[in-house]
Amino acid sequence: MDAKVTPGRTAGLYAGAAVLRLAIFTLLPALPDLLTGRVEISTPVTSFKRLQEGLFLYNHNVSPYDGGVYHQAPLLLPLFSLLPSFTSLPIFTYLLYIAVDLLSAGALWRIADSGEAGSSALFTSPRREKRWSGFVVAAAFLLNPFTVATCIGRSTSVFTTCAILHAIAKAVSGAPFGAMVALSFASYLSMYPLLLLPPLVLLAYDRQRPERATKSALQFAAVSASTVAGVVGVLFQMSYLLTGSWEFLPSTYGVQLTLSDLTPNVGLWWYFFIEMFDSFRSFFLAVFWLHLSSYVGGLTVRIRRQPLVVLTLLLGIFAIFKPYPSISDMALFLALVPLHRHVFPLMRYTFVSAAVIMYATCLGPAFYHLWIYAGSGNANFFYAVTLVWNLGLSLLVCDLMFAVLRDEWEVERPEMAGKEIRQI
Amino acid sequence: MSIQQPPDNGAENSKSPVNIEAVTPSNEAQTKKQPPPEKPSDVRRRSHIILSFWLIVLCLGLPIWWKTTTIYRADLPLQEMLDWSDGKACRPVFPLRISIQANALQEQEAQNLLRLTQHALDDLNDFSGHHLRLQLAPPSATEHHDRDSVLTIRLVPGDTTTAKFDPHEPVLDITYPPNGIPSPTSSSSPLATYVASQLRSTFAEEQATISYLLSTNSIPSDHRPQGLPSDVSDSLSKRTTRSLKYSPTYHLTFSLFTSGSLPSSWDIDGAIGEYMKPVLDVLSPIHNFTIDTQVQLYATPGVQNQVLNKEDLSSFINAAEWPLSPSIGGAPTVNFIVFVGNQTIAAPSQTPGDSDTLGPASHSWLIPQWGTVYLLPLADDTAHLPAEALKQPLLTFTSHLLSLTGTPQSGSLPLRLSTLSRIRSADLLLRASSTLGSLARLALALPSISIPSRVADGVSKTMHHLRLACETLGGPEGLAHARIAEAEAERAFFEKSMVGQLYFPDEHKIAVYLPLLGPVAVPLVMGLLNELKAWRKRRREAAEAGREKKRE
Repeated sequence: MDAKVTPGRTAGLYAGAAVLRLAIFTLLPALPDLLTGRVEISTPVTSFKRLQEGLFLYNHNVSPYDGGVYHQAPLLLPLFSLLPSFTSLPIFTYLLYIAVDLLSAGALWRIADSGEAGSSALFTSPRREKRWSGFVVAAAFLLNPFTVATCIGRSTSVFTTCAILHAIAKAVSGAPFGAMVALSFASYLSMYPLLLLPPLVLLAYDRQRPERATKSALQFAAVSASTVAGVVGVLFQMSYLLTGSWEFLPSTYGVQLTLSDLTPNVGLWWYFFIEMFDSFRSFFLAVFWLHLSSYVGGLTVRIRRQPLVVLTLLLGIFAIFKPYPSISDMALFLALVPLHRHVFPLMRYTFVSAAVIMYATCLGPAFYHLWIYAGSGNANFFYAVTLVWNLGLSLLVCDLMFAVLRDEWEVERPEMAGKEIRQI
Repeated sequence: MSIQQPPDNGAENSKSPVNIEAVTPSNEAQTKKQPPPEKPSDVRRRSHIILSFWLIVLCLGLPIWWKTTTIYRADLPLQEMLDWSDGKACRPVFPLRISIQANALQEQEAQNLLRLTQHALDDLNDFSGHHLRLQLAPPSATEHHDRDSVLTIRLVPGDTTTAKFDPHEPVLDITYPPNGIPSPTSSSSPLATYVASQLRSTFAEEQATISYLLSTNSIPSDHRPQGLPSDVSDSLSKRTTRSLKYSPTYHLTFSLFTSGSLPSSWDIDGAIGEYMKPVLDVLSPIHNFTIDTQVQLYATPGVQNQVLNKEDLSSFINAAEWPLSPSIGGAPTVNFIVFVGNQTIAAPSQTPGDSDTLGPASHSWLIPQWGTVYLLPLADDTAHLPAEALKQPLLTFTSHLLSLTGTPQSGSLPLRLSTLSRIRSADLLLRASSTLGSLARLALALPSISIPSRVADGVSKTMHHLRLACETLGGPEGLAHARIAEAEAERAFFEKSMVGQLYFPDEHKIAVYLPLLGPVAVPLVMGLLNELKAWRKRRREAAEAGREKKRE
């Protein structure tokens, strides 16, 4: 797979991905709006339709959060109002989304080429020779149907995806400050990436450039955390100046924390909280959030030697247990999985998890149609499919975790390589 | 939530990777290979992982659990509330002052008469909560009724002993023969006895009503009058059930229903202004009234008989077709219906108890807590009902309105109204107190019910106004305070957020917590237990090793 990547092939991949998206946008003009309305792609906190609503209010000097429809970060508004109007010249919006996808692919390419997945500062896998080049990883991301659908659906989660990938890329290339700034942007946009801070700090700490390395890990972590806090603070201040009030905090992060919008999505929260007794709602909201964040500490400690794996697994876990997940979170997770090509032979359930995910992908829209439009099914149909979807996803996460741990273990016990395992 | 398990298992896997043992099929049977001992760094790492999960559970989970599931119970003064409902906090006392104007008498004579009358009154009275105090009006304040006193007795010399109520003011005119003045030495006097018995009969109904109210509430028996005759209490209970629940505002609806196309208009405005307004005006300190009117042609009554029997009267109202809305706004509606048709009411049956239900001319009947129907026979070609034709119906309505509002039936109108306000304040006071008692008992009986701070506010406001009402019982402020107290008590008792929690007992919480938290807790608790066991074992081994070393 390590074929020489010429500049021509790079340009070809990027151009091909861009042309594919542009062709869908222009040749199938009904498709973007159809995808924008799909609950699998557009969640209340990433929907392009809701962004348009907020944009309209913002351009008419009304607070974008009036009416309770718009739940996204305020700084997206000036960005989109700088573009020519979407209704008259949609091409600029399309180009923006395509550019963001290409930027994400570029970041992914750099991560893949760094070889961090195979040999980190503290651990070198015996299988590291078997890996995919940046070209293949970027191509797998750009041509992934989930990525394409997210881009066509113009979900604003692509910005978060781009910011997270850039944060990892910066950390891998020894630029801790850039990594922290990128993570701050991601956290500002969707809040949950803040949980990626511990493994990202470790990754950046491991990959510091030797000439200006900070020896003390605590000092490095403190500096990184305060960088993130400072940048997020500045972003909040800018948002405050832009909207004139702190109203955006409850409307964006408050909605994620309290799940006040119960629109169905591919996640597990909405059904649970529809059924929840009112008096226990706040308690179980806290339980769900704590459950989501409890993985950060354990995984970071356990796989301390490979922070990139921790980041990958956490993104997979977030795609399952986030309050408002969509297939774009799946796309982000699937973008990082090919980096660990070397442990693929150790995975045991690739076929099952791939089949389950594809099965859910096909059945999800069908059951949603039966429930909402045909009226011949009910909410349980769709929820059952999202359960299957998340089962497939968690199978993949567990399998990857198992493979990585086995890889580590075989370094310690080389005589066990290739043998059956049994838990005792 | 079984979907949650795989990552948990993953975390479990991650905790014990060194326990993975390779098994070679060939030599499995003969030699069970022991895995090499764990490295100390691995042991430490596992402790850290378990610690990281437990730190989140203990530092974040437990406080959040505590904070989000504790039921807010505002402090209620339960004992005080129960005292109110048991009647221990307030002893309803109605001090009624009655002034005597005796301008024709000498000061000395008047004082003597007053003393004798007071004696006679005290002898007659057996109800301590309701006592009449006589006082001598200063001679200057003639002619006018004193605001503070309930009744003024005007003693005028005359030929015989007579008593007559002034129709416009609470004044009782008593004439006495010249020899009726008691001598200063006599210990009794026919005039004093006469005045006392007049007063007693005037206030007998009020006394009976109030003692009936007290007896139906849980007022302890020591200051409750004994021996309320059963027939009196029967008629009182009948009257209480007939009258509407107290409300500061009543809505009066006057409806003209005709069986044919005529009459199609009526001068109800003028008729109300002429015949009813005066009474509404004197009722205004106690109630406000709003009025609307309607005309409905070709109205079919619920009963088609030519002669209406007693049984027919209850189904006469055609509730399905007649536009009689139960309540407009918040105020209860009193309906007054004039039905123009040729139906008549059968002669009243012989039981005397019903005579007050049917009107004097048997044209009308009163429907308890609802209103009155008046049958008006008319010539077929009357197109317009003038105000004069409505005189009799409206006078009937007025007297029925008084009994619907619970006005007592004896005495002059001003006296009846002041009695009404006293009865109402006692009623409201008792009702607010018993609502407080119910709330307190509810709070005691359901320890898991939440009590929002609004309820505590309402309770403290209620008690404040109850205290004020108790102090000023009998006066107009007493009624106002009792009114506020009752409204606040009702609001506190029917607080919405308390109802939702009612049926969530503690044992149901297991069903809420266990399905999700049970599976999550199993790996957490097992991990912690294993870790503690391993730690104890290590310590023991270390201690033993130390002892071995010492022995060497």
